[in-house]
Amino acid sequence: MIQVNMPQNEQTTQSNLQNIRQLGQMNLPDGALPFHVLPIIGQVEGHMVLPPRNKTTKYEHVIPQLVAIEQNPRIKGLLIILNTVGGDIEAGLAIAEMIRTMSKPTVSLVLGGGHSIGTPIAVAADYSYICETATMTIHPVRLTGMVIGVPQTYDYLDKMQERILRFIVENSRIPMEQLREMMFRTGELVRDVGTVLIGEDAVRCGLIDQIGGLGDAIERLQSFIMNPHLVRKNTFRPLPQPGFYN
Amino acid sequence: MLYTIVPYDDIFSETDSIANRQEITIGGVIMQIEPGEGNLGKISRLISTNPQDYLNPRYQPGTIVFFTE
Repeated sequence: MIQVNMPQNEQTTQSNLQNIRQLGQMNLPDGALPFHVLPIIGQVEGHMVLPPRNKTTKYEHVIPQLVAIEQNPRIKGLLIILNTVGGDIEAGLAIAEMIRTMSKPTVSLVLGGGHSIGTPIAVAADYSYICETATMTIHPVRLTGMVIGVPQTYDYLDKMQERILRFIVENSRIPMEQLREMMFRTGELVRDVGTVLIGEDAVRCGLIDQIGGLGDAIERLQSFIMNPHLVRKNTFRPLPQPGFYN
Repeated sequence: MLYTIVPYDDIFSETDSIANRQEITIGGVIMQIEPGEGNLGKISRLISTNPQDYLNPRYQPGTIVFFTE
């Protein structure tokens, strides 16, 4: 168990006393949680700063946090909580790759939504949960005119899409054919191709490991921390098939 | 390049303005504040992976903090 040490100097003691006197409130004891929590909310923000009306999870915050968690010997595991509408491909895949290659146990929980680029982040963890009411949308990468400094061709879009599909397949139990079929399915989304998976659907197709909530996710992480041999690190790397990238 | 379910028009529309937020670090915790008068600001969001930071009464959203540039 780790101890989160806070400087217990005079100032802190004084503010504690003030809190008790003014608010009748006692400061909570320093927690002894062995794991940290990474919330991925709103838009995943990468190379481009999004207008302030968007709620974002910024790449420049998340990456150093992940490095610190990996390096800090007192932190034994990581819980990733997703409620995201997607976002930057490069940032999303970078975060997903960092989670996948961490040496410490990781568990993800999809609450609300884990759409678009949230999917690779969710499957990157050693074990993934989705709650019954959460949804995940699988849809094609679209031509939008927002590519920076890269010739925007159909070929390029296709390669971006392949990166995402491949990462998901390598880190979950879903077969490539099924994932691709879901991505281009018609009749599920209004005016668009793709598939919406609600809770159980994501487990049934092999994308997510189990239905569960906060308690389940924390219990799983605790058991991984206590029994590291239970963790199956994602090591599955299929050889590139001929013609995979055209 | 974005991969999201939110239409681009919604992401990049500049219609309504939202109070500007500033990022500061207090006690090693990154937080977003809404700057007020002088060097006072109101905490609007913590950016930390340590769940205990969110229980710290001094870091609760809405708390007025004093910060130096």
